[in-house]
Amino acid sequence: MTARTRAFPMLPRALVAATTVALLGSISGMRSAHATPSSEGDAAVKNGTIAYVLTDRYWAVYETKDGKAECPQGMNDGPREQFKKLFPEGKKRTVVEAQLMREGNQWHPSTSPEPFPFHEAQGKVSFGLNLDGKVGPADFESPEGEKGIDNQMYRVLGCIANYRNSGTIYHFENEFMRRYNNDRMIIELSGVDSLTNDNDVTVTTYRGLDGLLTDATGNAFIAGGTERLDLRWGKEYIRKFKGKIVDGVLITEPIDTIEIPWGVTFETSGYQVFRGMRLKLKLTPKDAQGLMAGYVDVDAFTYHLNTSWSTHHHSYGQLSSPSQYRAMRRLADGYPDAKTGTNTAISSAVTVKFTQVFLERPHDTMVSKN
Amino acid sequence: MSSIISNLAPLRRQRIAQGLRRGATALLAALVVAGCAGSPEPPVAGAPPRLRLITTQQYVNTLSHIFGPSVTLDMKFPPLQRTSGLLENGAARAGVTASQLEQFQRAAAGVATQVVNEGHRSFLIPCKPGDEKTADKACATAFLTRVGRLLHRRALTASEVDMYVGQAGAAADQVKDFYTGLGIALEAMLISPEVLFIVEKGEPDPQRSGKQRLDAYSLASRLSFFLWDAGPDDHILKAAASGELQTPKGRARVVDMMLASPRLKDGMRAFFDDMFAFDDFDTLSKDPTVYPSFTGVTVADAREQTLRTAIDQLIVKNKDYRDLYTTRSTFISPSLAALYNLPAVPGWEPYEFPANSPREGMLTQISFLAVHAHPGRSSPTRRGKALRELLLCQTVPPPPPNVDFSALENPDAHYKTQRERVAVHLKNPTCAGCHKIMDPMGLALENFDGAGRFRATEAGAPIDRSGSLDGKKFADVAGLAQALHDSPALPSCLVSRMYSYGSGGPTAPSDRPLLQYLNTSFAAQGYKIHDLLRTIALGTAFSQVTRSKKGPVPADDKADGTPPPRTQQTTLNLH
Repeated sequence: MTARTRAFPMLPRALVAATTVALLGSISGMRSAHATPSSEGDAAVKNGTIAYVLTDRYWAVYETKDGKAECPQGMNDGPREQFKKLFPEGKKRTVVEAQLMREGNQWHPSTSPEPFPFHEAQGKVSFGLNLDGKVGPADFESPEGEKGIDNQMYRVLGCIANYRNSGTIYHFENEFMRRYNNDRMIIELSGVDSLTNDNDVTVTTYRGLDGLLTDATGNAFIAGGTERLDLRWGKEYIRKFKGKIVDGVLITEPIDTIEIPWGVTFETSGYQVFRGMRLKLKLTPKDAQGLMAGYVDVDAFTYHLNTSWSTHHHSYGQLSSPSQYRAMRRLADGYPDAKTGTNTAISSAVTVKFTQVFLERPHDTMVSKN
Repeated sequence: MSSIISNLAPLRRQRIAQGLRRGATALLAALVVAGCAGSPEPPVAGAPPRLRLITTQQYVNTLSHIFGPSVTLDMKFPPLQRTSGLLENGAARAGVTASQLEQFQRAAAGVATQVVNEGHRSFLIPCKPGDEKTADKACATAFLTRVGRLLHRRALTASEVDMYVGQAGAAADQVKDFYTGLGIALEAMLISPEVLFIVEKGEPDPQRSGKQRLDAYSLASRLSFFLWDAGPDDHILKAAASGELQTPKGRARVVDMMLASPRLKDGMRAFFDDMFAFDDFDTLSKDPTVYPSFTGVTVADAREQTLRTAIDQLIVKNKDYRDLYTTRSTFISPSLAALYNLPAVPGWEPYEFPANSPREGMLTQISFLAVHAHPGRSSPTRRGKALRELLLCQTVPPPPPNVDFSALENPDAHYKTQRERVAVHLKNPTCAGCHKIMDPMGLALENFDGAGRFRATEAGAPIDRSGSLDGKKFADVAGLAQALHDSPALPSCLVSRMYSYGSGGPTAPSDRPLLQYLNTSFAAQGYKIHDLLRTIALGTAFSQVTRSKKGPVPADDKADGTPPPRTQQTTLNLH
């Protein structure tokens, strides 16, 4: 059967011929049309690869409406409140006895007993992932009901105003991440057959070099931007690990150690160190949202806090660095030191959102000549 | 001859063949030129010398050329009124209100302060005062004479020099600072009426008895604002002062120099920005809830993309003007790339849309598609109207005052596509008369939404991309691009706009023979902008003016004290 008769299987050949002539005649004089493309430009998944850039990241703090459920004793004290308690008015002190002593406590934190009350977040519900595969007595349950959630960092941060959704760090960590290009975290998924189900994909993390494309409201980000990869100064941010996509959700295997660019004020080039980090992200061609969870290195976290945020910022968010350090040490639950057996990292989770981008590698044009 | 060639060694044969081909090409070109030359430029009635308000970009370009890029020129003057298709024509009808003068003054103060500050004076002022705390007549004269000539686009008269130097000296003595005084004089000069207005003067044409032509400085300005969108430089002013510019050979030399200058790109950017009515971008906004990807950066980059494309195709590569409407070559920035779904590095990169891309020609660039659409949806009517009016120089009558939009705007109407919506136009005879000359072209662009993004469907319905232009039917946007490319009105519209732009005023019915001559010449030269510019700039009509109705006015003394040539005062065309 010819192609023409296949198109009109029930019609006699003569009628097919007549119909064909009529159809051709009706468009004579018209320039033949190109087939209508279903889309334009590059597809988000091209050659089995799709990339996303980080646009939102918040330390996962499960907050109830008024905060009383998780923080029945209220928020923790910050530098101002603690200073006032330590040094009540009426007595004259030197700078060395007061301000510099507190400065020293911040830069040389200890695990000595906490001199102030520290309010850990209460309750059994928290965001996060089951990092150790077990369900233990200190574990949480996710808002969706999953048991065994490991997020001791929530116990530490949950009642520190700075990390809650009205806090300075909560707001400005994202503000600065979006503003400064050296904070750009990229994930590239390769070997992707489907964004719905694929049991073997490779995830590579990079640092990007370019700004984010905001939409017309200024509050959201546009998919389809381009990021150049920093393969020169951003080598320490490159990691490769495996994952799978199940019902549109990417779940990765843990990566032992990974540094995440985390610069904040005044374009500082800070980073956070995660151990056993994994991603759980709902994927679409335009974005990827979910959790980045793992064990945060306590010393690196404290160093980042002190070098990235001034006491001024700590004060506004009622964040006492020495008290926070003690709590992190007390609640650390992973990666014990080989010699002392003391845990060096604490389970944590970060809610994240990524937006799809195209990638340019250094062998491609890095900067326009025009 | 072919047998002789065939007996030669292959390489030698190839060289001879190349030589013959070159010779034939040269002969053909000579014949074309001779053909044009054989059909002399028809006479025109001409217009009176014009007086035009300088545009923001002309002011910026001029100052940038004089003072260099280190002087920040952040200014925007009030918009002109579009007249006969061009803002530039509106410049000949503009006056200056008190509030406008305030804006000019603010800009002038900003520039003058920078020029005399410590960071610039060492290289922008050609001398140093004997004492910075007092006036220095010699140094002030040296600076103000040089800058004044470039700003006024002619040599300053002796009395003008005295006035400015006097202002500088008086102010310097008062504030005990030479540079402050100089800055005040420069500020005054920058808002001088003869700087802010481009004043043309006529004089008797010695070659054509009883006719008037622009005087040399006026011709220098007309050429310079036409080709460079800036005042004439020292070289052109010298050619004007020496009389060279008024000779055919001298004028040709200057015009060729100007056409070869990188400043031609600035001039043609200004022209195309005007012709394409890109001032509409200044007020363009889209509903962010409908088109979240269309940002302020998109607006700026969309305008820039089309201007870059036009300059690259028509000026840098000297291609056929009509190909601008079919070319797949363009430039991409990161902001635009997101709308085209393409990767892009920072800056602007050349880009060629692939053969299977729905983008072909200027009509499919975001600039045209987004400007000529509604804030929240596409508009075949607006796109068709723009095509008619901007690119084909045709006039679409405005809708009747009692037009009933209810059927079209009904939010409850079940129109899935714009094609269904605008079909309402054709049901009403009052509407159909005009809409049938707009909608069929615009409908071919329905694969692009109101922000210029590609869409395969609209509200789930497939999009019918067919349309027609002046009886030529097509099935998609490629057909529209080709129909536009082949329309005789396309190049003739450009010719009309270009001549109007260059000569500073709308064309008149009496200009038709001249425009026909230019059209024929443009076609014979392969629709190349360079050739059209040259033909216009060297034509008699370009420099011909009519005698002023107000009669001669004594001219000022010349700077060197010699009696000035008899010139005629400009007719103030400020109606």
